Amino acid sequence: MFRPLGVTARVALALALALAAVGAPALSQTPRAPLAPKSGGVLNVSQREELPQGFSIHESATNSTVWPSLPCFSNLVFFDSQKMVESVDTIVGELAEKWSWQDNHRSLAFFLRRNVNWHDGRPFTAKDVKYTFDMVREAKDAPARLRINPRKDWYANVEAIEAPDPYTVVFRLRRPQPSFLLLLASGYSPVYPTHVPPGEFRTRCVGTGPFRLKEWRKGEYVEYVRNPNYFIKERPYLDGLKYVIIAERSTRFAALQAGRLDVAMPIDGSRTLTAQLKAAVPKMVITEINPNANANILMNTKRPPFDNVKVRRAISLAIDRRAYVKAVEQGGAVVGASLAPPPWGIWGLREQELARLPGYGRPERDKALTRALLAEAGYGPGHPLRVEMATRAMAIFVDFASFVIDELRQVGVEATLRQVETAQWHPLVTRREYQMGSNFTGLGVDDPDANFPENYGCGSPRNYTDYCDEQVMRMIEQQSQELDPKKRLALVWRIQEKLEEDAARPTMGWRLDYFAQWPHVKNLIPHHSAYNWSRMQDVWLDR
Amino acid sequence: MSIVIFGLMRLAPGNIVDILFGSAGYVNEADKQLIMQELGIDRPIWVQYLHWLRDIVSGEMGKSYRYDLPAWQIIKPLIPVTVELAVISTVIAVCLGVPAGVISAVRQDTALDYGLRLLSLAGLSMPSFWLGMVIILTLVAWIGWIPPVTYVPVTENLPIHLVQFLLPGLAVGYRSSALIMRITRSTVLEVLREDYIRTAWAKGQSGRVVIWRHALGNAFLPIVTVIGIEFAFLIGGLVVTETVFNLPGVARFLVQAILWRDYPIVQNLVMFIAIVVILSNLLVDLLYGWLDPRVRFAG
Repeated sequence: MFRPLGVTARVALALALALAAVGAPALSQTPRAPLAPKSGGVLNVSQREELPQGFSIHESATNSTVWPSLPCFSNLVFFDSQKMVESVDTIVGELAEKWSWQDNHRSLAFFLRRNVNWHDGRPFTAKDVKYTFDMVREAKDAPARLRINPRKDWYANVEAIEAPDPYTVVFRLRRPQPSFLLLLASGYSPVYPTHVPPGEFRTRCVGTGPFRLKEWRKGEYVEYVRNPNYFIKERPYLDGLKYVIIAERSTRFAALQAGRLDVAMPIDGSRTLTAQLKAAVPKMVITEINPNANANILMNTKRPPFDNVKVRRAISLAIDRRAYVKAVEQGGAVVGASLAPPPWGIWGLREQELARLPGYGRPERDKALTRALLAEAGYGPGHPLRVEMATRAMAIFVDFASFVIDELRQVGVEATLRQVETAQWHPLVTRREYQMGSNFTGLGVDDPDANFPENYGCGSPRNYTDYCDEQVMRMIEQQSQELDPKKRLALVWRIQEKLEEDAARPTMGWRLDYFAQWPHVKNLIPHHSAYNWSRMQDVWLDR
Repeated sequence: MSIVIFGLMRLAPGNIVDILFGSAGYVNEADKQLIMQELGIDRPIWVQYLHWLRDIVSGEMGKSYRYDLPAWQIIKPLIPVTVELAVISTVIAVCLGVPAGVISAVRQDTALDYGLRLLSLAGLSMPSFWLGMVIILTLVAWIGWIPPVTYVPVTENLPIHLVQFLLPGLAVGYRSSALIMRITRSTVLEVLREDYIRTAWAKGQSGRVVIWRHALGNAFLPIVTVIGIEFAFLIGGLVVTETVFNLPGVARFLVQAILWRDYPIVQNLVMFIAIVVILSNLLVDLLYGWLDPRVRFAG
């Protein structure tokens, strides 16, 4: 298979190797791929809630959809299931056999596999690819439309998609974007068939993936059977998959401990819970991973007092990130700015850079600086800053908000907590009807292009704080098209520093996940991501 | 009643479209309007109400917003699960509560009475879901086993099916039995002081006949009332037990439907629960007539 190795790829590879040199983060007894996989068996998989949008990955932004839907689909390209760190160099072909950057990284051509069929027997062609991504980017002549389209912005740089023949598809970009390939490799980027209306994926699934949907018993389970016509020979190894929906967390882990389930679900195991599980079942394999989700503080920059950067900076300074990790996350998180820090991610700021930023240094000094900044902004003991902190009425959000309120109280800021139901949360932040909030943000791919435009870009619907800075926007554009990986990394670091200095959306920490699986499950290697590794075609059972 | 059910649901903030967008992490007002139009929740409330009534009368019961499937198709498999669990729990509650109450009354102020009252107090104090969780965690910790976490129909495997229901049935039944035991004890104690009981003893009738036929027979009306109320409560009140034991019943699904503002599902499930409450009350009233000749011949 032809795998182009561009400059970005070379730096990513170097970084990945560097990560390997410092040691993969706390990988405890990760199952090794044995020599002779066995075929057969059904893997019982944990699913924490009902599929919110069925199998409609393109209409969803939650792992509760992606995790149980991925085995049905294929992407053009995907991250190598056996490599824990995801980067350009771990991308392998799925529906695309090979690909090539052309026109100075302004065109990306994919050469597709032949003789691939959809689960209903219809042939897969380049038209399906064009159809899918025209629909997602909402092209003027797109033949179909998604009801909800959370990732339209990922494809803002796509000018046109062409399918010159049934086995070639070309993405024409407005400007070079080397990391575009990573977006296509995300679990959020499956290819849909032209002959199935997108709305039908809410209730059924027709893909080209290794498993075919057998049954979705609402609120109970999702069952797959092996796709005998899967385009990779001798895959999948398993006869089937069963995603068992168990809403109660204690029951889920009891089921795992009792062997009713073989594997947990990503972003479900806390450090404490999995430690207990490990104590009860010493042979249970627990892997510490970065699911690429951070806790952050929202401050509405369009409303007083947070339209004043001094006040935002004061708030950011007042909150001790390391205390947050210790107290709220009980050590199950790491400090970092707007991208995951090494060794958990490739692009995040390192410890020495973080130490210079507000809120990451010495708490006493930072709190004194906070008081000075607040005084400059006209707030003090006689005239305290009073704010309302909104958050979702769920334990993890409330714990986080309560911690922030306590930190603010120590610098004389009087903050009150407003809990809103989940149904109200996004309308509230989308309409900017809040002053301050505690929030979690998950990223589909560890790449600046999957984060900056969406969460910090002017006018983006998910830029909940409405932070908008022309200089930052220019740098975001610049890093996106930078072909020199070293220069890109330097730019990305500078952007993160600027975002922290402006308290655009202060990051509290990057949560770690503790993924549990029985040792008889082989070849299921959790990645530093929650979304891109559950195709299951390489998984087998050694019972 | 239908107006109350319909109206209450609309009082909750937000609707399914907010939730859908929430799970996608943003809201697009134009798209939101389109989806609301598609689901018919942009219409005036009274129009929506009339549509729902029309759906009920036609037997369709509307369409689930979340699943885009007929509501009846979603609700139908849930009902037998909850009814079976409620019946098993009630049977366990009666089997434990009534004899314990009678024994406690007959052996009033003995060590046995104190012991049984203590057990009933414990039953009333322990939420059934907590007891359920303790059962599950104890099983997994001691023998590394728990019942299957997916529902096994009776036709598929009877023993496993029974185990799946007996454990939650015990957790729920124990709590209900405590209430039944206390009611039984107090009413039996009251009846035991009646003249006709004294007469029965004086006539030399056996203790079994006096207590179980004369005393309990006449003390049974309030007990039946409590059993009826408990059963009706269980139909909608098993939320946490169904969640803990992962049983696909009405109550668990109802909570999910409320969280998703899936109005057609919620309205029909609440309607179903209301009908069960009415029917169980009716059954209790009919039982009064069968148990008590005074009621039977009063008309």
